[in-house]
Amino acid sequence: MPETQEPRTAAEPPGSGTPAPTKLSIEKLNVSFGSVTALSDVSLDIADGEFVCILGASGCGKSTLFNVVSGLLKATSGKIVLDGQDVSSRPGQVGYMLQKDLMLPWRTVLGNITLAASLTRGATAQDRAEAAELASRYGLGDFLNHYPHALSGGMRQRVAMMRTIAAGRQVMLLDEPFGALDAQTRLGMQQWLLQLWRDLKRTILFVTHDVDEAIYLADRIVVMTPRPGRIAEILTVDLPRPRPLEVLTTDTFVGLKRQIMQHLYH
Amino acid sequence: MNIRFGAAAGPFMIWVVAMVLILVAWQVLVWVSGLPPYVIPPPALAFQTLFDNWPRLSVLTGQTLYETAIGYVLGALIGFLLALAMGQIRVVQRLVMPALIISQAVPIVAIAAPLVIIFGFGITPKLIIVAWIVFFPVVVNVLDGLASVDRDMLNLARLMGGGGLRTFAIVKLPACIGPLFSGLKIGATYAVTGAVIGEWTASSKQGLGTYLLTANAQMNTAGVYAAMLLLTVIGVGSFLLVFGLEVLMTPWRSRSTAPAWAQWKPSQPTS
Ligand SMILES: Nc1ncnc2c1ncn2[C@@H]1O[C@H](COP(=O)(O)OP(=O)(O)OP(=O)(O)O)[C@@H](O)[C@H]1O
Ligand SMILES: [Mg+2]
Repeated sequence: MPETQEPRTAAEPPGSGTPAPTKLSIEKLNVSFGSVTALSDVSLDIADGEFVCILGASGCGKSTLFNVVSGLLKATSGKIVLDGQDVSSRPGQVGYMLQKDLMLPWRTVLGNITLAASLTRGATAQDRAEAAELASRYGLGDFLNHYPHALSGGMRQRVAMMRTIAAGRQVMLLDEPFGALDAQTRLGMQQWLLQLWRDLKRTILFVTHDVDEAIYLADRIVVMTPRPGRIAEILTVDLPRPRPLEVLTTDTFVGLKRQIMQHLYH
Repeated sequence: MNIRFGAAAGPFMIWVVAMVLILVAWQVLVWVSGLPPYVIPPPALAFQTLFDNWPRLSVLTGQTLYETAIGYVLGALIGFLLALAMGQIRVVQRLVMPALIISQAVPIVAIAAPLVIIFGFGITPKLIIVAWIVFFPVVVNVLDGLASVDRDMLNLARLMGGGGLRTFAIVKLPACIGPLFSGLKIGATYAVTGAVIGEWTASSKQGLGTYLLTANAQMNTAGVYAAMLLLTVIGVGSFLLVFGLEVLMTPWRSRSTAPAWAQWKPSQPTS
């Protein structure tokens, strides 16, 4: 039995009166590959239902952080606590959408969305019906029986996202899910994701290179710097939700952007 | 690639055109060379011989076809299972691969004689020779298929809680089907050659290979060509059969949606 901890509170998400309990704690992570220190003393508490963006230059250890949180990679030191339980090096506790879309070409959209069920116990008629419902609600209803090669890049990303959702984990790690998309598609996908997050009430960690994307999506932004990868600053995004596109030009938005840019390109 | 494109553009017509072209070239060669029919028989004579001797030739064709088909299935099965074992267990791959390459470097004609000494004049040495030829391209291609599975895809499967067996069946095995058929198509055209070589070495039962030898010895050139025609039909037929099977079994390569029987319909009862 893991010892029960006093529920701590993460930084208060804006807008809500009472602070949400901590869902996930990243505690003093250090990761080195030989002589390369990929992560140095990274600590972060994430509240239940929070949307946190992780922003940083290439090579500052964002994917490494996700690999450790997901349990794929063993940290040199430090631990991951989910719902008060130590889940370090225990894969499968959180959902992880990797940088590549990783579709199985021989499975249809529906088959790819229900992948987690097929891999664990075999997909049931109900799994398929639920997946179809999910896909229809978020704009893929006409493509349930399509193979991935017949989809656009944006649609494939949406399928990958739904697959992550259908796996049913409360915490989802999304590693640059929109990295390969053009600016316009990207904006549409961001709005789509926000809608999804509002409906599903999951906790999201989202890696991106794009400052605008981070501000538009996040409750909090974690800015990381490379060599060694560490957290430089954590900013709270004080923009009301739902966020219309007009927030992209408000003073708060531009002010945050300036602040972040100073960290990234000093 | 061209084959796939050809299939899409109208498989039947392309084959008809190809066969007509070959027959025309054959006829032209006969005319231009001016060689007598016992050196190069014109197509008409070859076909005439074929039809005149059909009762006998059909039995011989049956025998050769039988050897080819059984040996082919045997070789494909052994090759596929061997490749899966090699792909799953590194040590097996390290140990077996050199042996496989050596087995293919030995000329098949040289293998035939000892096989007959060991297994006699029956069907066994023929099956072994055909299987021997077929299994190698299958092994090589299926191994490539297994190796092509993305590491991250396997990581994802692990994160989703996939056990070894299910991950194998859902992620790895389907990745081998395309490559398996690449190997099978190569094997399909070679298999009949294996059967003929087997028959040439020694046979208690007559097949097209043995007929080819006798016809040749008797200067029955038209007979040789008739047998050649039949062997070609077996080779091309095997290839087309395998190709058709491939199209059926890899619908994601040629279609944008799942075939009707595999489609999900909202009307399906939810339990
Ligand atoms: N398996 C590994 N072996 C050795 N070094 C590694 C390994 N994985 C990552 N690294 C190193 O760790 C550092 C962080 O890599 P990581 O992939 O986490 O960066 P990232 O922030 O995700 O970059 P990007 O934005 O380009 O995806 C890099 O210097 C990289 O070379
Ligand atoms: Mg990365």
